[in-house]
Amino acid sequence: MDILVVHLFNALLYASVLFLIAGGLSLIYGVMRIVNLAHGNLFAVGAFTTASAVGVWFAGSTSALLFLLVPIGAVAAAAIGAVVEPTLLRRFYRRPEEYQLLVTFGLLMILEDVMRFLWGPYPISASVLFEKMGSLHVGDYIYPRYNLLVIATGVLAALFLWAFIYRTKFGVVLRATSQDMRRASALGVNVNLVYVEAFTIGCFMAGLGGAIIAPSQPAVLGMGVDALVLSFIVVVIGGLGSLEGALVGALIVGVIREIGISVFPEIELAVLYLIAAGVLFVRPAGLFGRTA
Amino acid sequence: MSNRPTRRDFLSQLGVTTAAMAVGSVAGAGVAGIAHAQEKPKGTIPATPFKIGHMTFFTGAGAVLGEPMYKGNVLAAEEINAQGGLLGKRKIEILKADEAAGTDANTKEMRRLKLSEHIDMFMGITSSGNTPALGPVAEELKLLTIFIDGCTDFLFDKAVPNPRYIFRITNIQSADGSTCAVGVAQTWPNIKTYANIHPDYAYGRNCFDHFGIVTKKLLPNAKSVSEAWPKLFSTDFTPHITKTLAAKPDLLVTSLWGGDYVAFYKQALQYGLFDKMKVATTLALGSAPQSIGKDHPEGVLTGVHANYHFTYPAGNRWPLNKTFVEKYKARWNEYPNFQAEGAYTATYALKTALEKANKLIGGWPDDDAVIGQLEGMMIAGPGGYVSIRPDNHQGYKDAITGFSKNVPEYPFPILDPSRIITIPIRNITAPPGWPKGEPTSTYTWIEQTWPQMKA
Repeated sequence: MDILVVHLFNALLYASVLFLIAGGLSLIYGVMRIVNLAHGNLFAVGAFTTASAVGVWFAGSTSALLFLLVPIGAVAAAAIGAVVEPTLLRRFYRRPEEYQLLVTFGLLMILEDVMRFLWGPYPISASVLFEKMGSLHVGDYIYPRYNLLVIATGVLAALFLWAFIYRTKFGVVLRATSQDMRRASALGVNVNLVYVEAFTIGCFMAGLGGAIIAPSQPAVLGMGVDALVLSFIVVVIGGLGSLEGALVGALIVGVIREIGISVFPEIELAVLYLIAAGVLFVRPAGLFGRTA
Repeated sequence: MSNRPTRRDFLSQLGVTTAAMAVGSVAGAGVAGIAHAQEKPKGTIPATPFKIGHMTFFTGAGAVLGEPMYKGNVLAAEEINAQGGLLGKRKIEILKADEAAGTDANTKEMRRLKLSEHIDMFMGITSSGNTPALGPVAEELKLLTIFIDGCTDFLFDKAVPNPRYIFRITNIQSADGSTCAVGVAQTWPNIKTYANIHPDYAYGRNCFDHFGIVTKKLLPNAKSVSEAWPKLFSTDFTPHITKTLAAKPDLLVTSLWGGDYVAFYKQALQYGLFDKMKVATTLALGSAPQSIGKDHPEGVLTGVHANYHFTYPAGNRWPLNKTFVEKYKARWNEYPNFQAEGAYTATYALKTALEKANKLIGGWPDDDAVIGQLEGMMIAGPGGYVSIRPDNHQGYKDAITGFSKNVPEYPFPILDPSRIITIPIRNITAPPGWPKGEPTSTYTWIEQTWPQMKA
């Protein structure tokens, strides 16, 4: 019984991080209709920045300061987003999708090389926070408290985004721009500002995903591409452009992966793709997707 | 059945030794070591640069192994160039290529390096997925090649069973699983159950197979009770750890490495895994010594790819190692791993082969003459002797593993100097002429020729 609780926590942990990454990807697509392939490496930038801030630059500081430093990765990713959207991506919204894919994929590779240049090839750990929080007892087993913090962050991010989009004036403007950019613009909405804000929030979420796991999983080169592939599975299941879809998709992937690893270890890699394929058969636009 | 050997007898037959002092070294005068003085070459040697195409992982998670490989190659090349170059004349020039481009792109790049850049030689390769694809291409191009790693048994078992131009310097892959299993049988002979966590690709499968067959022979009572196959380059191992804990095994065997292993052990600590079972690994301290923290538990059987750890042979007992580690640290500000040692030794194997061939025929030796010298060569590298078997062009070096221990001299754990386990490599690898087998020749050789221990 207690092992089931641990499995459930594991699934929620995975889902929380996936939601942060895939949610950002979906938000950006929902508003700007651009598939940002560089998104995975913004997640990695978040992880590397927090890992070096906590594990290297300020190593040895008080844990209170170190906890405050965790979101720095999200800020770094958001800063990159705030620069890249107006200077680079904006020129490609009216072009065919191939251009957007090429540009964002190029950006993905540039970021990968920049990270190798800045941080070198070896894994960077910020595990001091992960260790400081210790573990709590779940029956015969113990569970790291830090992972519960990650789950809480995922839940809070989901609540915050929901409130932001459905309960604030900016959310109304954002949804209006997403539904009809020209009409929103005609009604006096500063579309460019909405775009840069939405893109920055999306990048912030990816960076937060990387930042929050940095204490429990070291930052390694290549983690961004991995995260990108997984978040695509999530949005394929949930529907690209839908935040509800990202949430449900992340939960499905988290739970299925946990079950898959325990019951069918030999096909761990295939299970997620099989689920995505199944959803595509039944609902080609994803569970919450809008059909064009 | 009563005349079956005991485990202890058989382990001593295997030559398994657990004392650091047991491997008596003869590093005195007369050893044809790496740094021996150069004689004046015979005949005229061209002054054109000698181009080596070096392909390894420079990007992605594999760079944790690729970078040290490249650095080992560069260090050796700089040393040789400082003495005037190969045969005193030809400076080594290294052209980099990124192995992360994918197997298909890698074969194209190898062709391009040979046909457009006119490289004289090819070195490198980390992944076991790439050597079986690149080996046949190198043979077709007649491109002299020393693979540093990509150590799958499959390369010389199946992909290129009769190599001419390609060689490989690091230990064969099956040695990892077998060495780990021998270490377990010697250290924890009473285990009844074990769990597995292996990365889901050629290396993990190979370790699983060979750990399994050796354990079946040496510890017939031990049963595998759990398997987990995480994707290579994962960072979240919480489900695999939970699954392993739920199986309540006496021992966990894992072949995770690099960033994967770092993520694994840090998470496993917080799940209390190390308190609940023994842990044996094949590559934990192998990939990047400095990436493992002092929080890593002591007494874990920590493998180093059955191959090399910079602290062994220790002190000045094998001066080649001492000077190599010092020079590498001075040049790169980090400690070398097995890839760095492999690339360094391979470069000197080339130099030695060229000098020997030159002595015989004068002038710049052609590839056939160099190959003739590499075949059967025994060279002393930082980690010990490497012999290149003439029939399959594989380098053989005695296998080592040991136990993690924290010492004040290093900010990371090293192999406990008082408990190094060494095994003569010929005792855990299939001999020349052994028929090709499934999954590997070494597997069928162990299965058919090792005695079955008493339960």
